[in-house]
Amino acid sequence: MKFANSTEPTKIVIPMAPMINVIFLLLIFSMLSMKIVSPEANFNINLPVSAPSHARPHASPHDIKVGLESDRDGNLTQLTLGGTNLGNDEAAFDRLNKELLLLIGRPGHPQTKDIEVEIDADYECQYQYVAKAVSLCTGKLDPQTQQGARYVEKIKFAPPHRPKS
Amino acid sequence: MKLGKIELGFTGPNMIPMIDIVFQLVMFFMIAITFENSKADERVKLPLDVLAIPREVKPEHELVLNFGFQRDKHGHKINSVPTVFYNDRDFEVGELTRVLDAEKRALEETQGRDVIEKVTVKIRTDSEVANGLVQQLIKKCQDSGFTKVTVVDRGRKGLE
Repeated sequence: MKFANSTEPTKIVIPMAPMINVIFLLLIFSMLSMKIVSPEANFNINLPVSAPSHARPHASPHDIKVGLESDRDGNLTQLTLGGTNLGNDEAAFDRLNKELLLLIGRPGHPQTKDIEVEIDADYECQYQYVAKAVSLCTGKLDPQTQQGARYVEKIKFAPPHRPKS
Repeated sequence: MKLGKIELGFTGPNMIPMIDIVFQLVMFFMIAITFENSKADERVKLPLDVLAIPREVKPEHELVLNFGFQRDKHGHKINSVPTVFYNDRDFEVGELTRVLDAEKRALEETQGRDVIEKVTVKIRTDSEVANGLVQQLIKKCQDSGFTKVTVVDRGRKGLE
């Protein structure tokens, strides 16, 4: 008796094209949802205005002055808080943050809303130092929880200095 | 002889590849539009700041000024004097008044006289630019009538 050759393995062809299409779509979707460019952000800073009428005649007793002195190349030579020299390295900015916290007492307290920090930087001082000082005056980010505590709401720039000739 | 049954009927075109292609095109244009809107210049290296707050709402009218240095392909500075990159041209801070005035006139002609009060000038400043020049640039903007000026950093996360 002759049987049909039914045990011969049949080749199953899996269509790959739809799978590749779906993978492409997922890939592009994840690319879109991912933030390729880091977000740009700003601070609530009172920028210097050309009209002097906005300037307050007398400084408030709450005002704090942060000074940034630099050499001719713009490198930071001295960071000051109310006349106190804090240094010119990374630790100086940490000291600024800590000293400021001591001055304002409790972050988020209603009285701290009146405090205004004036940033007085040399003409040549590189903007990165100014941005860092502004950042550390506004608050502190907890490295573990990634939650921020706001110290000072109001920050303004002092009138610009003349360049060192 | 018995023939197998032949099914007659209309077989529609396979729509799946077409839908796939349309999806791909839609996503491509979404990406392209996102990059177009940023108006960022890769020569400007913004200072990193973890506490700066990203804007939730984009202003209705925005004028983006990139302020940085001419750099080679390795990122090294070619010129020590920073320039403002605007509309594919480079301007020194002193030259910017006529550019801003022309921009103001163009905006007023197309959108009305009150539009200037609604325009936000976004300054993207390189981290190595001198602070005095940044302040000079802000003053130029304000002298030209643009009262809303903001200087942006590379933020990471806003304050809670």
